[in-house]
Amino acid sequence: MKVAIYWGCEIPTAQYAYEMSIRQVFPHFDIRLVDLKGASCCGGPVRSINTSAAMYLSARNLALSSQTGIEDLLVPCNECHFMLSETKYRIDNDEKMREKIEKLLAEERLTYSSEVKIWHVIDLFHDLVKVDAVKAKVKRRFEGLKFMVHPGCQIIRPSEIGRVDHAERPIKLDALVEALGAETLDYSEKLDCCGAALLHSHKDAALSLAGSKLKAVQSYGVDGFVDSCPYCHMMYDAKQEEAATTVGGKLSLSVLYYTQLLGLALGVDQEKLGLHLNQSFNPNKLDARAKNILIPRGNLDDRL
Amino acid sequence: MSLTDLMTMAKSNKMLQRQILSQLWEVHPDECFQCMRCTSGCTSLKLLELKPHEIVLLTNSGFVEELVSSDIIWTCASCLKCRERCPQKASPYNTIMALRNLAVEREAKVPEVYMKVVAQILETGLMQQVKMVTSREMQPLNRKKLGLPKIQCPDDKFKSSFMKALGG
Repeated sequence: MKVAIYWGCEIPTAQYAYEMSIRQVFPHFDIRLVDLKGASCCGGPVRSINTSAAMYLSARNLALSSQTGIEDLLVPCNECHFMLSETKYRIDNDEKMREKIEKLLAEERLTYSSEVKIWHVIDLFHDLVKVDAVKAKVKRRFEGLKFMVHPGCQIIRPSEIGRVDHAERPIKLDALVEALGAETLDYSEKLDCCGAALLHSHKDAALSLAGSKLKAVQSYGVDGFVDSCPYCHMMYDAKQEEAATTVGGKLSLSVLYYTQLLGLALGVDQEKLGLHLNQSFNPNKLDARAKNILIPRGNLDDRL
Repeated sequence: MSLTDLMTMAKSNKMLQRQILSQLWEVHPDECFQCMRCTSGCTSLKLLELKPHEIVLLTNSGFVEELVSSDIIWTCASCLKCRERCPQKASPYNTIMALRNLAVEREAKVPEVYMKVVAQILETGLMQQVKMVTSREMQPLNRKKLGLPKIQCPDDKFKSSFMKALGG
């Protein structure tokens, strides 16, 4: 089947590992991704400046998606997923806003259609592909490994607009990691925010939010931390060292995108999944058990 | 009737309050009964002293001018917990966003990054420029080297529509 994909800004301009791993894993499930042409920012950061301009941006991307003739739209970034879903909910229910936005879209000869179905990586795998189908494709099972997952904030709240998972007790990402043979642990900090939205205006607070969550996760002694949002991943992976300075002590937790972990389980080459871009992922830090599974042919190990 | 804050002698401003309320859709700050569920779960409470229930209370009392010129409205982490948990559909999140919009309109102090993002979207359609990254082994890499396709940016027509959207 074909699924349209809206990448947003952070993924195609910085978080390349997420894009690479998404492009690698979906064909294994007979899903062809179709990139939107001329897509723009979702409007997430514009919302603080001008809410209706932000909604125009979201609606424009939804209209580009309808233009492809494909009903399903994959939005792998949590912030974009929220902004697009929020806009869809608003213009489907608020005639005035719809009229205002349709007028702006008409200038580019675009039309908004309420038919588009917005997916995130997590619910696309969990609800459409199904956990059993994921399980069936796995070539390398992560038996004996323990992970903790971070679903993020904006794909689970607010439930009134229809979200990917339960607002207070999200379990879908756990189920998807368990489908790969690994164990996931529940933890009290699971719903804590990564702090990314504050990074450029209140840096210390942002790093401290990321740092305290990482510190907690590390203290439970898991083999890795799994996320699925480019902003959360940036905070937990690239900013991990800096975040450690705000909480005291050293942080050395391997952080991976779910699509990277899935790719490894499917037998995809590490470099094709962009695993060499994960600053926090250190195969040498993993115990021997994890090493055997996460480093298939020892080639990455040789280079390090 | 206009209220006076006896600590600061600030007066409430009904006109600005109406402006905030007119921006909200399906959100009713006036139905807030100060249960503080928002504040008790607020991500920014501990680190930045954001108290969402006070923002709603001040908005309801008409002290909008004070909120708009305060740094506090820029400390929200957008985690949306308050919006999810509010029992009254009074969502402090949406009120904070409306206050930020008003701060921009009134040219109050706005963190620089937000204006930069708008300028960048006008230039390329995306909120930031395509970055060069480094691998763990410090090898500089870009989209091409990683085998990723070229990004197709929106054309000039988009710019004029976005400008209009910002203006109206």
